[in-house]
Amino acid sequence: MGVQEISPILEAIDLHKVFGKKKVLDGVRLNVYPGECLGIFGLRATGKTTLLHMLVGLDRPSAGLVKIMGSDIRKGDRYKALVGLVTQDKSLFQDLTVAENLDFIASLKGAPQGNITSLIAKFYLQDYLQMAVNSVDAGVFQRLALACALLNAPQLLILDEPVKDIDLYSQHLIMRIIQEFLSQGGACIYGFSNMESSQNMHKVGWLDNGRITVYEPAEALQIWDSLLHSYNNIDGEKDE
Amino acid sequence: MRNVMLFVPLLGVLLFAWLYSAQSLNAIPTAIVDLDHSRGSREFADKLTGAEKLNITAYLSTYQELQEAIAGGRIVVGVVIPKNFEQDVALGRQTRVLMIIDGSNMVYATNASAALLEVTRTVSAEAGIRTLVGSGMQLDQAREAYKPIAFREEAWFNPTMNYAYFLVLALILNIWQQCCTLASAMNVIGETGMKSWLQIKASGVSMTRLFISKSMTHIITFMLMVLPLYFLAFRVLKLPLQCNFGVLMFFTLLFVIAIHSVGTLMSSAVSNAVDASRLGMMIALPSFVLSGYTWPIDAMPPLLQSLVWIFPQTWFFQGLNYLTFKNPGGDFMLPFYAGLIVTAAVCYAISIMLQMWREKLQ
Repeated sequence: MGVQEISPILEAIDLHKVFGKKKVLDGVRLNVYPGECLGIFGLRATGKTTLLHMLVGLDRPSAGLVKIMGSDIRKGDRYKALVGLVTQDKSLFQDLTVAENLDFIASLKGAPQGNITSLIAKFYLQDYLQMAVNSVDAGVFQRLALACALLNAPQLLILDEPVKDIDLYSQHLIMRIIQEFLSQGGACIYGFSNMESSQNMHKVGWLDNGRITVYEPAEALQIWDSLLHSYNNIDGEKDE
Repeated sequence: MRNVMLFVPLLGVLLFAWLYSAQSLNAIPTAIVDLDHSRGSREFADKLTGAEKLNITAYLSTYQELQEAIAGGRIVVGVVIPKNFEQDVALGRQTRVLMIIDGSNMVYATNASAALLEVTRTVSAEAGIRTLVGSGMQLDQAREAYKPIAFREEAWFNPTMNYAYFLVLALILNIWQQCCTLASAMNVIGETGMKSWLQIKASGVSMTRLFISKSMTHIITFMLMVLPLYFLAFRVLKLPLQCNFGVLMFFTLLFVIAIHSVGTLMSSAVSNAVDASRLGMMIALPSFVLSGYTWPIDAMPPLLQSLVWIFPQTWFFQGLNYLTFKNPGGDFMLPFYAGLIVTAAVCYAISIMLQMWREKLQ
């Protein structure tokens, strides 16, 4: 049975978002299936974070709708039990320790305490439990952020730049855990701005001028390289 | 908000200047109890009506009525003209007029005492001289040798006119209520203004459950904070407490809920935690002065006399004075309980509506 015969975990239908007079999203459509990682590629200020926040219900679209497991997310918050989120900005509780963050967020999500122990081991957080979150380095922070996102054993992960500017060990660990998650039937929407990361995705949604165009990763990389090449040529002609 | 904050100190100066614009207490509510019912006692009472700072608002028949009027806060000074007053004056015998002052408010008490002193000196001298002249003495001789009418003062509820009894508890509670107001001002914005709000929103936790839990934690903490203060006040410093301690705690709980609601409303109305703190300070700092505890509400400009009841601090400090000094009973305290409950209901309701409106705008 192919992926396309299974119902999507998430459907975004004709999403629009306007801030004042600026149109940030202009009819975005996308689907994500179990076991699939959809990358949302966009440079700075293209609306990537806005889109990701809308998909998880943190922000409301000006028009359009989002369905998770077939349910419209406007009609109740039950879908949130199926979703885990890692934000681009540091959104953990800065005045709590690593252990306290795990404990508190597990309480908020109604997640069993047993999940905390297994995630601490999985993300190698044992040495950092008593440290204040605002004192750990970026790699540990992102590992903790993803651990918190997985506390409620979600079926869908929304990740906004989870490995940007962090150490290689943490990057590798996070990507490995995401792959495990996908292999167990989870789905992932992954926001990123470095095209080289696209090789980790199944599909790449290129967000530009408020619209999304979906490519295969290799295709997206090729287009990116062509663009870079064309800009280099323009610069070369100018130099001459 | 910065522009507003620039003018707040100036506003404070103007407010306090306006508040104290009367400068001194005039028209102190006074009642006369005439137990003699004679022409002489009536003439004496007429002299009192001419006293500059006393406002004769009631003519009572019995000492009991005077007690009730002072306990109920309607009268600050009571003048009791004894039986046989006229006869004693006519016969040149010394007679005692009792001047009773409500000592539970030191500002009223000291001003009333000073006002009475003016009256007693004048009236006593006149009466004494008239007595002597009536008995055949020359006026000049009488002036030298008159027997004045003796006036005896009694301060009820605070017999030693002890400022510590009046002020210490109120000042301690003023600091406490300022802290509570500021903490309450973080109730909503302390979460929604932080990046961690995204985690809370994404978790799916019920907002009602979250804020009720948080509010209950605040309220319990505020009550736990006041317990050692009350212990210090009533057990260590031996400040007066006429009412049952449970009644005082109940009244304090209503106040805590009311100021928490005010803080929550401020928290819902602003866009960041700093503005919430500023707004909290703007309300918390002048609220004690506006409560009428130190400067009576009756002595404030007419517009302020109505406005001050918007603040839960006014209901609390006025009620606190009654409970600790007079224990006037449940029926009397009902309006104070109601004032705090209504404040809480209104402020929480507006907060909820503001949050719903913000959600819609997003």
